[in-house]
Amino acid sequence: MSREILIDPITRLEGHGRIHIFLDDGGGVDRAYLQVPELRGFEKFAQGRRAEDMPQITSRICGVCPMAHHMAAAKALDDLYQVDPPPAGRKIRELLYSAFMVEDHALHFFFLGGPDFIVGPDAPRQQRNILGVVDAVGLEVGKEVIGVRKQLRDLVAAVAGKAVHPVFGLPGGVSRSLSSDVRQQAAAAAARAIEFSQFALGAFRTIVLGNPGYVDLVTSEAYTHRTYYMGLVDAANKVTFYDGTLRVVGPSGKELLRFAGQDYLSHIAEHVEPWTYMKFCFLKDVGWNGFADGAGSGVYSVAPLARLNAADGMATPRAQEAYEEFVTTLGPKPVHHTLANHWARIIELMYAAERMAELAADPEITDPQVRTLPTAAPREGIGVVEAPRGTLFHHYQTDEHGLITAANMIVATQNNAARIALSVDKAAHALIRNGHVDDALLNQVEMAFRAYDPCFGCSTHSLPGHMPLIVDVRDPGGALLSEIRRD
Amino acid sequence: MRTLVLGLGNEYAGDDAVGVLAVRALRGALAGMADVVESAASGLALIEVFTGYERAVIVDSIRTGRSPAGTIIEPGLGELGRATAPSLHQAGIPELAAVARRLGMGFPDRTRVLAVEVTGPLTFGAPVSEPVAAAVVPLGRRILDQVRLWASEDSGDGLPERPERGRQ
Repeated sequence: MSREILIDPITRLEGHGRIHIFLDDGGGVDRAYLQVPELRGFEKFAQGRRAEDMPQITSRICGVCPMAHHMAAAKALDDLYQVDPPPAGRKIRELLYSAFMVEDHALHFFFLGGPDFIVGPDAPRQQRNILGVVDAVGLEVGKEVIGVRKQLRDLVAAVAGKAVHPVFGLPGGVSRSLSSDVRQQAAAAAARAIEFSQFALGAFRTIVLGNPGYVDLVTSEAYTHRTYYMGLVDAANKVTFYDGTLRVVGPSGKELLRFAGQDYLSHIAEHVEPWTYMKFCFLKDVGWNGFADGAGSGVYSVAPLARLNAADGMATPRAQEAYEEFVTTLGPKPVHHTLANHWARIIELMYAAERMAELAADPEITDPQVRTLPTAAPREGIGVVEAPRGTLFHHYQTDEHGLITAANMIVATQNNAARIALSVDKAAHALIRNGHVDDALLNQVEMAFRAYDPCFGCSTHSLPGHMPLIVDVRDPGGALLSEIRRD
Repeated sequence: MRTLVLGLGNEYAGDDAVGVLAVRALRGALAGMADVVESAASGLALIEVFTGYERAVIVDSIRTGRSPAGTIIEPGLGELGRATAPSLHQAGIPELAAVARRLGMGFPDRTRVLAVEVTGPLTFGAPVSEPVAAAVVPLGRRILDQVRLWASEDSGDGLPERPERGRQ
């Protein structure tokens, strides 16, 4: 009989986002896994609704990345009605999407990665939180994170109607054109975002790369998995967020696949385990061979590190420069170190800021023609974007009136689930001996978590309980042996 | 003095909608006294919402497992505890308050949290359960009482008008 250890970030939605670690009779680890929250029932809920309502409805699915869902849905509608947005419509979408990526990446690099790198992995636990980060970087930087973010949100509100839940994506384009005033607003926001990204890259260089201990930590075996990587790329194989072709590279860096989002079902399948309701995405072309890394396992990863691995570079100059430094320091590619996600994130931050600036400088973006009216009868549509945490798929089928008959979504965290399970399992195996579990396990699991930034945002938003993390150690009879709480 | 009434929740996910539904019903009644905001946002994404307000009522669902569904709970900010969950998506209101104040963004000095205990499945498209739906009216009354009390302080009238029972 096995024992179970449970690490549970308790929110008001109990039962979600748990880590289970099963011990064998010898006190070693049998298996460990992450149970990712899943907002069930979406498929059924969507049935019978108007397809054009999906951008609004799905932007409320997630309290963290509403813009990603809004945009994936709008792109699925383009596909559904077989209509391409005119250049200005497409550019306005990408401008706002880039603004959203800047906003999200900036916030997460500082406040999410901050506890591990800016405050430091060895800092006292009481300081390893957001306030500790603010103290470490200084008030001015903290204010700048918020200031940049506010400027971007004002821009999004000016273009998309609302800052949080946008209402501008329509099949074939967007609901209104960009005025030259708003274009200037976008250019100013982009300039500030570039400056801020430059600062973030500099801070990373000083704080992390200047500290051999941190570099050792990033490259340590504990946080390394040699898996496949997936991300959207442009025609030159550069990272792209809004549109492109999906590219998959293997653990050796060799390209395995290049495919259009519309073909995702030919390449991605979901594996089911009897011990969890969760489904683990894997590459059909390789096959499911258990929770393992290596070329023979279909486990793959998405998110910033995976995107940099799946691409051959960045499409903008400063981001490309940062990318080259990244590859020189941690390469050769692919970089398999999970914690390198934090660095990849700020390289992407720079790309998103530079891409915003390019789009804002493009005179065509103020063209009044922002929508192509759909005329085709709808049947099926698939939309793909790179959300901050990785590839996001929306897939709808409708009747001839555009009412949804079937809907499917794969969110970033589902794509990453199997690799996250590998990380949890590795931490557990490395740190649990003879049934002894201590704080080091929590630290390691937390750090891996933060790097992936698995999204528990699908309907959780506030009012957390008192004990975000619990490790529960029980003997084979179910009696509680010990409990570690983190609150 | 500005007052915010913030309803949190995903209106498509069963009982999670209660905060949003409660404040939505009060939009008319609160006009001129408070700004009503509905949001499905989470964690730090909410940080700007509070800027510029001296007072706030936050309305949400909660799952403590210690009360029957529909019970209205009033946890103080301190009682909600400090969250250091591995993902900042779970940053809670106390963290938002601390960060906003530290950064000089301002956070309402007076904050009241009203939360409704939920037990039903938070499945997409699920209806709001009966006991939770029944809490919407008393919840609205409490929100209204609080906002009126604050408004009366501003106008210097002393004690507020006693809310009429049986009326929304």
